[in-house]
Amino acid sequence: MNLGVLGTYLPTLARYVAVMVGIAVIMLIAYRVQRFLGVKQEAATGRTLIMPWLIGFLIFNVFTIGSSLYLSFTEYNLFRAPEWVGFDNFSEIFDLQIAPLESAAQRSSDALPPRYDEVQRVTLGDGGFVIGARMEEFWRSLRLTLLYAVLTVPLGIVASLGVALLLNQKVRLLGFWRVLYYMPAILPSIATILLWRWIFSGSGLLNGLFAPFYRAAGIAAPSWLTNPDLVLIVFVVFSLWGVFGANSVILLAGLKGIPQELYEAADIDGADEWAKFRNVTLPMLSPSLFYNLVTSTIAALQVFEAAAFIDIPDSVGTFLNWLIYQEAFNFRNMGMASAMAWIMLLLILALTALVFRSSSAWVFYQGAKDAN
Amino acid sequence: MKRVLFLFLVAILLTVTISAGAQEPVTITISTWAGVDEAAELQVLIDEINAEVTGYQIVHQPIPGDYFPTVQTQLAGGTGADLYWLDQNQMAIKSEGVLMPLTECLADSEPETAGDVNDYYPGILAVNEYDGDVYGLPWIAQPVVLYYNRAIFDAAGVAYPEAGWTWDDFMAMGMELTQDTDADGEIDQWGFTNNGWPPPFIFVWQAGGEAISADFTTSPIDSPEFVEGFEFYLSTAYNPELSPSREVISEQGFGEMFKAGSIAMFMGGAADDLDRVDGMDVGVIHVPANPTTGDITTFAWNASTVVNGNTANPEEACDALVQITEAIQGWKIVSPRISQATVEHLVESEPRKEPNAEAIIAAAGDMRALPIFGNYSRWDATFWSEFWGPLLNNETDLSVAELAAEVRVDLEETLSD
Repeated sequence: MNLGVLGTYLPTLARYVAVMVGIAVIMLIAYRVQRFLGVKQEAATGRTLIMPWLIGFLIFNVFTIGSSLYLSFTEYNLFRAPEWVGFDNFSEIFDLQIAPLESAAQRSSDALPPRYDEVQRVTLGDGGFVIGARMEEFWRSLRLTLLYAVLTVPLGIVASLGVALLLNQKVRLLGFWRVLYYMPAILPSIATILLWRWIFSGSGLLNGLFAPFYRAAGIAAPSWLTNPDLVLIVFVVFSLWGVFGANSVILLAGLKGIPQELYEAADIDGADEWAKFRNVTLPMLSPSLFYNLVTSTIAALQVFEAAAFIDIPDSVGTFLNWLIYQEAFNFRNMGMASAMAWIMLLLILALTALVFRSSSAWVFYQGAKDAN
Repeated sequence: MKRVLFLFLVAILLTVTISAGAQEPVTITISTWAGVDEAAELQVLIDEINAEVTGYQIVHQPIPGDYFPTVQTQLAGGTGADLYWLDQNQMAIKSEGVLMPLTECLADSEPETAGDVNDYYPGILAVNEYDGDVYGLPWIAQPVVLYYNRAIFDAAGVAYPEAGWTWDDFMAMGMELTQDTDADGEIDQWGFTNNGWPPPFIFVWQAGGEAISADFTTSPIDSPEFVEGFEFYLSTAYNPELSPSREVISEQGFGEMFKAGSIAMFMGGAADDLDRVDGMDVGVIHVPANPTTGDITTFAWNASTVVNGNTANPEEACDALVQITEAIQGWKIVSPRISQATVEHLVESEPRKEPNAEAIIAAAGDMRALPIFGNYSRWDATFWSEFWGPLLNNETDLSVAELAAEVRVDLEETLSD
């Protein structure tokens, strides 16, 4: 009996069922063992029920994260066994050279040793210096990613706060406005990116709208996506699309949670709107703003889809996450890609820790204050 | 109740036993990047094969998105389909030990069949060879030819290109055809177009240059021949006397401009539909020759079918490979087989190509593939980002020769990795 497509699907299904049965048996044994050891029924049941998740977490998260750490110390091309190279991948990434420029006209490649390419050139008077690296694409991408985060996170939070304040107004058809403002968040991200790509393309909506202005001013329409000086601006504009969505909803929930008595007390004290916003709304909203700051920073450093669908000029670099993917799947350089991923992880951890450290100075937790 | 259960178990046992003893044909899976329409056409061929063979049945498992990362992951995991389509760049994995060597299983193939490796253009087959073995059977080798719009030539009173034409003829014609046809002060018709396509290797090879040496140890892009070819290539891109600017191409579309009648000459793959545009009279001729060497080598995009090294049924997979390659070579153009390099075969595969079949077949005889090796993707990325891209996009003030000397070091580093 030829099962056609089912012939390849059924063995997979059988393995899937076998895994399910296997997990069920393990759960049963774990439960019995716990009960045998005198664990109360409620505790044994709870532990047994989280076991499938725990097994999945260990296999698909802990093991893979651990594997990538190991791979970062190897040379591994997917098809051959990983070869231990110690810190070579990290050494190559951090192999930087700073070379002085004898004149402003001197080319970076003449100043730098062979095999080092320019990451950043700084001209000071008739001289200056150039920073070069062997993995210059990593440093260019890191620079682009950090610049993107520095620009988009504050802008995004301010814009989200603006949207949340708007949606917190007592106006007619409030439900409709809230749905309308949340709508962009439920659109598939790839569709949104393709739409933005079209808007900013040479013959896209933006240049089409401004065509009369360009003609009148006698200037060429900007190449938003291919001009190295403009492309970051384009990505920052894309990112603002994200203000309509979870960030605004979280801030809106935060606004709803601010006790009205505080505003009434401020009114009695004669506070104007700005004073109320600065002294009541912002402090009371600071935990929500803090949460948004942490998640937005992490998200900004992990941009992937936009970079995958929009070509960025090589001289600018690309986003770090996309560079890692390219290194892994285009060049099959899994060891180097893992090393880059771990550097990115440590960077995100460091920035998150910094934000957490700073929180004691500006985040106000009402309960904590009351407790003191 | 127990009796019913017993009978049920016996019935299952009997079914399993009978099924196991029935010598069922094995399933050979093939994964391709085919989209909906292409997959439907391929399925017709597969159905025909399945109706004729007895030992196996072929099942198509298309992967229309994120194809190569998926294939690589499947191969690395020891799973996946028995057969895969791989294009020339993807064939770089031939040296990784994950594909089945085919020399032995193809040894008894009939002459002038898909399994006869001697029937393939050697340069195309070379993409599939590694260390004395063959790892894939090519099913397409599409030479770049020159499409020209006869109406534009007629209106300008310029004679059509003829066999033996050279770069000089090409430039002279292109510049003559670049015109402001509506006299509004702006050029609206161009002789040629280049936005990075066609590949520069056409002109480099014709001038006698090489991007990678035959033994894959050097990348002599600073040789005078390479520089000559590349400089000519650059002179055809974004040249206001010959071709539209990047902005105009971006606004009006690359191939679309030719179809809209604003480009006189366009270099495209032989299978492109540029000569089938309604209302357009389009001729096809080989690419212009280097005026000194007279060489008319052209670039060929090619793709192959390979066998997964982990296939559970190597014999059936090899036979299925030959069968399906034979079928595809009668479907896709241009066939990479010498015995099929005939106008008749081409027209049989694609009747709409009849008017230009002769020129296409002639170009096939001069086609050449990229020199593919294990680290080709890294070489290619370096070549583009450090050399080709900056020169094409005018991002460097260095000459071709100066930049070539600088980048050669980085390119050769990728060869030694």
